[in-house]
Amino acid sequence: MNERTQTSGLGFVGQSVTRVEDDRLLRGKGQYVADIEPEGVLHAAFLRSPFAHATIRSIDVTAARRSPRVTAVFTAAELNELTNPFPPFLMMPGLYTPLYMCLSDKKVRHVGDPVALVLADSRYHAEDALELIEVDYEQLAPVASIADALSVNAEQVWERADGNVLLDKSDAYGDVESVFASADRIVTERFSCQRQSNQPMETRGSVIEVDPETGHLTIHNATQSSHMLRWLTAALAKKESVRSSLKNFATNKDRRDSFIVAAKEFMAQNGESMQNQDNAGPKSQLRKDRSMLRHLPRTLFGLLGKDDYPTVMARDIGGGFGAKGPVAREDIALAAAAIDLGRSVKWIEDRVENLSDGGHAREEDLTVSLALDNDGTFRGLKVDLVLDQGAYPAFPIGASMATQIMRVMFPGAYKFDAFHLRARTVATNKGKYVAYRGPWANETWARERIIDVAAKALGYTPTDLRLKNMFSDQDMPAAMITGPALDETMSTKKTLEHAMQVVDIDEFRDEQETARAEGRYLGLGFACYHEAAPGPPDYFDSISPGAGTLGTEYARTTIERDGSIVVYTSQMPHGQSHETTYAQIVADELGVGIADVKLVYGNTDRTPFSVMGTGGSRGGPLGGGSVKYSSREVRQQVIDAAAELLEASADDIDIMDGNIHVSGVPARGVSFADVAATVISEGDQPFDATFGYTGKGDGGWSCATHACIVEVDLETGRVDIPRYVVVEDCGPIINPAIVNGQVRGGVAQGVGAVLYESSVYDTEANLQATTYMDYLIPTAMEIPYVEVHHLETLSPGENDFRGVGEGGMIGAPPAITNAIEDALGPFGARVTDQYLPPTKILEMAGIIDPD
Amino acid sequence: MTVSFTLNVNGAATEVSTEPRRTLSDVIREDLGLTGTHLGCEHGVCGACTVLLDGAPVRSCLTLAVQADGHEITTVEGLANGDELHPVQQAMHEAHGFQCAFCSPGFMLSTVALLAENPNPSRHEIREELSGNLCRCTGYHTILDGVEVAIRALASDGASGGGDA
Repeated sequence: MNERTQTSGLGFVGQSVTRVEDDRLLRGKGQYVADIEPEGVLHAAFLRSPFAHATIRSIDVTAARRSPRVTAVFTAAELNELTNPFPPFLMMPGLYTPLYMCLSDKKVRHVGDPVALVLADSRYHAEDALELIEVDYEQLAPVASIADALSVNAEQVWERADGNVLLDKSDAYGDVESVFASADRIVTERFSCQRQSNQPMETRGSVIEVDPETGHLTIHNATQSSHMLRWLTAALAKKESVRSSLKNFATNKDRRDSFIVAAKEFMAQNGESMQNQDNAGPKSQLRKDRSMLRHLPRTLFGLLGKDDYPTVMARDIGGGFGAKGPVAREDIALAAAAIDLGRSVKWIEDRVENLSDGGHAREEDLTVSLALDNDGTFRGLKVDLVLDQGAYPAFPIGASMATQIMRVMFPGAYKFDAFHLRARTVATNKGKYVAYRGPWANETWARERIIDVAAKALGYTPTDLRLKNMFSDQDMPAAMITGPALDETMSTKKTLEHAMQVVDIDEFRDEQETARAEGRYLGLGFACYHEAAPGPPDYFDSISPGAGTLGTEYARTTIERDGSIVVYTSQMPHGQSHETTYAQIVADELGVGIADVKLVYGNTDRTPFSVMGTGGSRGGPLGGGSVKYSSREVRQQVIDAAAELLEASADDIDIMDGNIHVSGVPARGVSFADVAATVISEGDQPFDATFGYTGKGDGGWSCATHACIVEVDLETGRVDIPRYVVVEDCGPIINPAIVNGQVRGGVAQGVGAVLYESSVYDTEANLQATTYMDYLIPTAMEIPYVEVHHLETLSPGENDFRGVGEGGMIGAPPAITNAIEDALGPFGARVTDQYLPPTKILEMAGIIDPD
Repeated sequence: MTVSFTLNVNGAATEVSTEPRRTLSDVIREDLGLTGTHLGCEHGVCGACTVLLDGAPVRSCLTLAVQADGHEITTVEGLANGDELHPVQQAMHEAHGFQCAFCSPGFMLSTVALLAENPNPSRHEIREELSGNLCRCTGYHTILDGVEVAIRALASDGASGGGDA
């Protein structure tokens, strides 16, 4: 197995080549953020609130400051004096985004809210000093649930919100009233999903290195979005007055010129999407809170006036699943402290902190009404969605963005005449809601559940009712009722038909009947979805006008003087194997081996800009496309130069195994180094191309059907999964082993979501799951073997790759919960919760009393 | 207060002087600079920090460094023989065992200990033995495959007289 040196003629794309990343990682030579230890670094520990909701009367850090091993203690008030607040980003119509500081000085809003920062010579000593800090809190009534948040009597988490509602937005498509009035039946159910947590095995962390000569910051950070962290740190970590910023900007011509160049480039790339933005978002914000008018100019002019932005360096990252996308409050606090002290600082989050505020997700209530005719035809869908975002909105992409992706994706692969969604985001005294692998996934869960409920009510099989209402190839081109265009890449129906061939339903029903006679309860559940990966060009703007600015990924391919091939990506890998898949793409483009390609990522001094970094299943289609086309441009540059060198027509030049030659005459070929030398000696530019890619212009859907068989043990309430099948279609596959790994990893998190994982709070908003003894990550004993079947639907045009990172987690919860309801059919059970631990299973079977 | 003792890690002896409360994982990572041992939960559940103590897997986050005095410690850095990967490392590579690989040192050391005790475990036994290590990326399938690749490699090495696990 030595595919990395396979000859290029075979084509690497499509092969399960082994991973380039493995050698350093398997030897223990990876470099994760905790492994970075600059000389003389100070170790940080944050003092965090023990109360869910309280005002701070006073804080006394005198004793902590006297501690001999402590270098500095910052109270929230001191640090907030040095910094700007987190601003609203991607303001949406109807949304109020509270502004907040890096630490909390007057009021704490969740257990774990940071109120002070200690820096000492070791983490042990920093944590010792935390115990010497006295804080006098006055407790407020906690807002512990969606019900609390919607109560008119609740204490307000954010003073300027409408009660605790931050977003209340309704959208209708089609004539909802008349469709619901004329439909034969309406099936309604309320579904509730518990709070879950992304839980990468590596927690968050940041090491901020200060250059003693220049004061330049180098931020080593486990981030999915290195450029966003760089810009936000520059914007927030050192507050400057507008006057001094403007003076700096006006007197520094280089700075002024480079800003104008950058602004022109940005507008050329994103102008169209920017024009789609309307003022409704900023208006919603300003109606609630005008302080943005004071803070934003200072923040933006501060960026203009800065000569030196930090460098962000992210190397190996131990997983993220969305949790490392946001810029953390701690990141800004640490940078501000490092700037103030002129000393390097290090913080590695511990697991208790991570379970408390490292990222929560999914806590949503959804009341769903499906209108349909007696012949099974879907007519309309109405959804009332309430999302619990916790206290502080994540930056830059808050929870409310998830509600709007849900709005667009809710109808799924089915035809509807009408659709209505009311989306509310509420604030509670809990840790922050972040994007978690398929952040909109509960639209699929609720839709696929209500379809099963309706199938039972009408006497259809779940698969027949789905097939009857799905878009098929004959319907294409079509559009979702919520806007986005559909083409043949939306092949969900084909994945369901294929799954029905893989799983013999009749045979299963026989087996189920036999088992029931023996007192064993088997169930079969299906779930179908499609996801935008990357989606058609109108996709982002249908979520939020102007969000298209998130859509571009960049790559730069260069051939260096010695002939080596270096590719720079704006993607930020954290387990997805970009170094392997991108090398496969580049090697095919340039006619070289995989080992000849070096990928550079994570260093903002060297990599092209991207707002998002890695997330949203964009690494394959968009990142992969940018890598492909920048390499293709470089190939042409090389061929043009080689044509001169070899005195041949460029059309006749071929490259194979790094040998650049006239077709048919490989013995007289030259190397990349040979060609590079001629170009450089002639004073030309080296081979170098940058490409920004937003997708190939249509389709871009990634689809799947999951089929799950469960066996429920009514003695213990335990659920086993004897068979799990995924039929997925992400178009042409770059590396099947890596795709299978993404699918299986997502399904594993879905198994955890349904059977094991809950970030449960008590009625006082105290988190009850702050260790891995309480928050149960499934082990090898709990995760079933997942069969993965691939369809590879092609669509016209090049670069047909579609993303696959999120789907496993989108399909698994509905497939498993549908299977469990099927298994408990004899008891008339109705699954309305996503979280089904053994006690809940036994309750649904009527074996134990819920009370 | 500090205590001084000798720590034997991967066949090399190092004099260590440390506060007695410091964990084996912190001393290995910070004092010895062997950062291949990872800390995932620091409360003994995730298994990322697993090292071998006289050949048996222990949680280095729950072990005090002083407790390792007089014992032989093996970390992930001690597995490969120069450029040549350990059969378990090579097997994990071939099987696409890991993704982010943060958990990998613990899994590989648990596997080395398992195969030393039972060179031919069943798939179920592998699952059971490795259930003390958490992975959030893979769904475990490829890790279990990797153990099976290692079993075959070690068996054929053993037949030809090689193998060191």
